[in-house]
Amino acid sequence: MSVQEKYQSLLELANQNGTTYSLSEADGVLHVDGNAPSEEAKKQIWDEYNRIDPDFRSGDLVLNIAVNAEGTPAGAGGHTYTVEAGDNLTKIGQKYGITWQQIYEANRDILKDPDKIYPGQELKIPIG
Amino acid sequence: MASVLTFACGGKKDADIQKAVQDKLTADGVTGVTATVKDGVATLSGQVADITVKSKAENSAKTVDGVKSVTNNIALKALPTPTPPIVDPALAGKVNENLKKAGCTGATATVENGKVTIKGSVPEAKYVECIRVVNEAGVGSVDNQLQKAK
Repeated sequence: MSVQEKYQSLLELANQNGTTYSLSEADGVLHVDGNAPSEEAKKQIWDEYNRIDPDFRSGDLVLNIAVNAEGTPAGAGGHTYTVEAGDNLTKIGQKYGITWQQIYEANRDILKDPDKIYPGQELKIPIG
Repeated sequence: MASVLTFACGGKKDADIQKAVQDKLTADGVTGVTATVKDGVATLSGQVADITVKSKAENSAKTVDGVKSVTNNIALKALPTPTPPIVDPALAGKVNENLKKAGCTGATATVENGKVTIKGSVPEAKYVECIRVVNEAGVGSVDNQLQKAK
């Protein structure tokens, strides 16, 4: 079983409770770096981690979840993404576990067309 | 003649379902996945990085009218490597600072090549928090030998 499979339910939970995250992996250790919309959402994820790997003994996950400032509206979560060459909204959305439509909606002020984004552009990443 | 006609109809229908599945995947923000449909069985292939996208694609395809079942052949591509941890002495400092701030006085941390080993014991009520603050120090991995104090 891959590490991602082992922690799939934790990632599904993050998607459900509005936590955005990015994944990386080295030497069989999965890194989940994310932003939760509330302390409660973060706690849910840690509870799930504790359920999958009781007392966190396996050493195959580094879980680094920050909490977005309370009361911050979606789209102003302090998370911005700088567009790189070859990006599109769908691709960027995947990095954060949200849809391209969510990014488009949060950036309507600067995006006229969801198909036209440019390297260097700074996009607001809404809470999923 | 009749069989040719049936075949043609069946083919057309599969093609319609296939398009509907592909459209549904796009609408749900799933990219990098291709759907083919034969006799109502949708086969998903392609590569995604996140396992939840793989399961989401399958769930999306299942909701499309005409899809009898879904064969999920989506592969997981290798994830990027994490940002390397800061050098050991600085990381040890950061981990110990986090532990101290969280009041995890019974815990001690040592660091080697970005791997943090935590030993000692903390009250049970503090346990999760002590592990959590170590995870949030920018570590490469954690060897958790921390005990819960009786």
